Amino acid sequence: MSIEVLLGAGVLAATLRLATPIALAALGGVITERSGVTNIALEGCMLMGAFFGVFVADRTGSLPLAILGAVVMGVALAALHALASITFRADQIVSGMALNILALGLTSYLDYELYGTTGTPADLPGVPTVDLGFLSGIPVLGAALSHQSAILWLTFLLVLVLQLFLFRTVPGLRLRAVGEHPRAADTVGIDVRRTRYFAVLASGALAALGGVYLSMAVAGSFTDGMTNGRGFIGLAAMIFGRWTPVGALVASLIFGYGDALSVSLQGVSIGDLRIPVQLLSTIPYVLTILAVAGFVGRSRPPAADGLPYESEGH
Amino acid sequence: MKRFLVLAFIFSIMFTTSCDALSGLTGSSLKIGLVTDVGGLNDKSFNALANTGRLDAAKDFGVQTSVIESKKQEDYVPNLTTFAQQNYDLVIGVGFLMTNSVWKVAKQFPNIKFAIIDGAPADDAGKTENLPNVANLFFKEQEAGYLVGVIAATMAKDKVGKATHNTVCSMGGIPIPPVDHYIAGYQDAVKTISPSTTILNGYSNDFVDQAKGKEIGLNHISKNCDILFQVAGGSGLGYIAAAKEKGVYAIGVDADQIDVAPGVVITSALKRVNKAVYNTVKAVKDKAYKAGDNFFSVANDGIGYGKTDAVVPANAKAAADQALADIKSGKITPKDTVQVKG
Amino acid sequence: MPVISVLVALFIGAIFVLISGHNPIRAYAALILGAFGSPYDISETLVIAVPLTLAGLSVAVAFRTGLFNIGAQGQLLVGALAAGWTGSQFPDLPGILLLPLTLISGVLAGGAYGAIAGWLKAARGVNEVITTIMQNYIVVFVMHWLLQDGPMSAPNALGTPASSPIGAGAILPIIIPNELVPLSRLHAGIVLAVLAVILFWFLLWRTSLGYELRSVGLGARAAAQAGIDPKRRMVLVMAIAGGFAGLAGMIQVSGLFHRVFDGFSSGFGFDAIAVALLGKNSPIGITLAAILFAAFARGGTLMQANAGISSHLVEVIEALVLFVIAAETIVRAIAGRRGTPAEALA
Repeated sequence: MSIEVLLGAGVLAATLRLATPIALAALGGVITERSGVTNIALEGCMLMGAFFGVFVADRTGSLPLAILGAVVMGVALAALHALASITFRADQIVSGMALNILALGLTSYLDYELYGTTGTPADLPGVPTVDLGFLSGIPVLGAALSHQSAILWLTFLLVLVLQLFLFRTVPGLRLRAVGEHPRAADTVGIDVRRTRYFAVLASGALAALGGVYLSMAVAGSFTDGMTNGRGFIGLAAMIFGRWTPVGALVASLIFGYGDALSVSLQGVSIGDLRIPVQLLSTIPYVLTILAVAGFVGRSRPPAADGLPYESEGH
Repeated sequence: MKRFLVLAFIFSIMFTTSCDALSGLTGSSLKIGLVTDVGGLNDKSFNALANTGRLDAAKDFGVQTSVIESKKQEDYVPNLTTFAQQNYDLVIGVGFLMTNSVWKVAKQFPNIKFAIIDGAPADDAGKTENLPNVANLFFKEQEAGYLVGVIAATMAKDKVGKATHNTVCSMGGIPIPPVDHYIAGYQDAVKTISPSTTILNGYSNDFVDQAKGKEIGLNHISKNCDILFQVAGGSGLGYIAAAKEKGVYAIGVDADQIDVAPGVVITSALKRVNKAVYNTVKAVKDKAYKAGDNFFSVANDGIGYGKTDAVVPANAKAAADQALADIKSGKITPKDTVQVKG
Repeated sequence: MPVISVLVALFIGAIFVLISGHNPIRAYAALILGAFGSPYDISETLVIAVPLTLAGLSVAVAFRTGLFNIGAQGQLLVGALAAGWTGSQFPDLPGILLLPLTLISGVLAGGAYGAIAGWLKAARGVNEVITTIMQNYIVVFVMHWLLQDGPMSAPNALGTPASSPIGAGAILPIIIPNELVPLSRLHAGIVLAVLAVILFWFLLWRTSLGYELRSVGLGARAAAQAGIDPKRRMVLVMAIAGGFAGLAGMIQVSGLFHRVFDGFSSGFGFDAIAVALLGKNSPIGITLAAILFAAFARGGTLMQANAGISSHLVEVIEALVLFVIAAETIVRAIAGRRGTPAEALA
């Protein structure tokens, strides 16, 4: 077994690719939970993004419109969640579960009705890859970073922007205040409901971007349930990263690394020992638990996370 | 308003339960029911093909047909029973996951004909027990794997087009017989035709996750593979996507997948489940239904290889056609156990 | 009233059915008939409701204590694997020994798997949401290995990877004679489920432990005031939660399949989250919610077979029902109950 299998450019590049959709879902989770709304429907928002990205690309042939369409539909699903959990003060987890089922049913239904016999078309516009020339000099990492999807770079940028937004700007402070202490935020004149609506819709947009990354940048097609639980992994990454954008990215990278290992270790033997291929697939999940247990430990969610808010005036 | 709607609903439901709109299909023509496995109708694989066969039969023979998609393994028995209880003439279970369920239900309804794709009825002890009212529709996937393996090996050996590294590979969903048969035949052909060619194999451990399939494809390509054969349903589409991104070749499975990625997919290993379903319906209609084992192979056109891309040279096609003839005549019997596991 | 919510949701669903070009009345008639139209259909609905109820109890007992158990699915499968192993390892033992052994091993294995999440939270502060999500995936792949080419794989003609069959003594008998309802699969697992529901109620509302657990759920501070150490309780609660789910897995093996199949019972543990919350974590509520879900699963089949409705459209309608119930009941309940379950995400 060589070091290439564990730390080669190929494994690191795969890590980045596999971490991207999870990181986007996790970012969505960070922003909505920082405002005090749990959004378990991130998985559904991803699926909406994955399908409607392909659908719009098929109809218009335009990549920007496809991404826009994906984001709009992710936001639409998130809007239902916002309506239920903010306006109707519904149970946020039931609403989220319901919307996940809705998204799975709706996208699978439409996919079958529209593309059932042929599959989604093969000539969809691809997402361009980006090479940042000055990075190529870095050994190993330079190679891993070359030819990566534009959405991956966008994800890095979003992590940075959201980190600064949440912890270095006044609107970010307000958003966190709403999630920690809505009553106090209300008394100083922050519109709790509006802030929360904004956060939930933003989470839908981010998750949908993760979905469209999977369908347009990775696969070039849509298949039923193709997000395969990444929205839930994103939720775990959000908690792992202590509800911060940078932390969520690090958590996603650790998970992505485990996932990349489960591929690169296939067919590799250590002496006579050959790990069964099925057990290799457990690596990212075991690694995540070990990482959290070993290094992260306790993490505290925003104090008002998941709690509906009723203003005094009601 | 709301209350009115509620009442309207209750009345409408009461009204309909009392009329006869509920018996499903009516009329005197044959009734054919299809039960998919958990892959569902949109699996781009054998459930989808079985459904194509059902619809073709409905069109050509004027039979009435209906379908139920199973969501869990728990559903197979009740779904098969649903059709049997409504006195369908033929109930088809798609997929090897249903061997025991078909056995249970078929025993209970001896006057109704059943068919099962990729399996034979198996009793509670897990032993095959042929029943007089169950047709077992088997496919020799290894033959299809062998045919596309011949094309891959010829191209690898002759370094045709982008296949310059003399390395071919495959990816299965999970290592179960219907998947491994394809891979076994593929590897057998490569070893026979071009012993110097390197063979890689992998599993996505999944049938829906495209991202995972793509990573395995990229991993294989980084190890110099330039012909990728997928046997992993939806996950396999990701494997093809890897070939497309890196500009190498892929081979499709089950259905003809040449249109999935033109110029990338060079051919497909065909398992004509649609034909098996269609023929079985026809047999019931013509009173020629045959219980027990029915094999679909190259001998009766149940197995084959699909359309080929322009890059596939004439000698590769000729070799595949020769292999097809040799399998038919019994000169070649493709292996059905995987030699290169990973 | 939840009943009105269901009807409102069905009305919205009818619009979808109409748009898809089908007759909604025919569709819903098929849904109801499919779920409750005959003794056979009712018995099948109950067969599905049994594991859903038990997995629902698993999620609910954690919620009651302020923990979010997303891992019922994984715990169910671990319970099934353990029960399948025990049942097939000692096939000659008489039922009076083998059935309890199988049951205990399923419950203990599910419980132990759940306890890992509780222990990691208590000892290392690992949020149980992370652990249980990861555990769900881990067990699926371990199950693939065990049954495909690991120690539990048994050669058979079933086509799909499976364990050896369990001994006759480990089988839960069918409780409806097949002379009355041919092919009915309704097994004695339903009795176990009813007992589990009673146990859940007794445990939480009639024991001092239950009082402690519920006060932990109401907030760490309240618990501390009552002199309870919430940490110590986490392991126990997750073990109990895992035990309920493990029992569900054991029942699927002993009652339905009589062996472990690779990849069976997928999804019960996730539906269970909705079942628990829809049932407001109460014994009766969970039971009713499980029956509602089961009715959709069973009735949806006939909707597709007889009315030609896509199974995905059935999912959409099911989602609408869930969504409207969530939005409707919470509006009314909100005054009395402030986000008990959602707090569990902490």
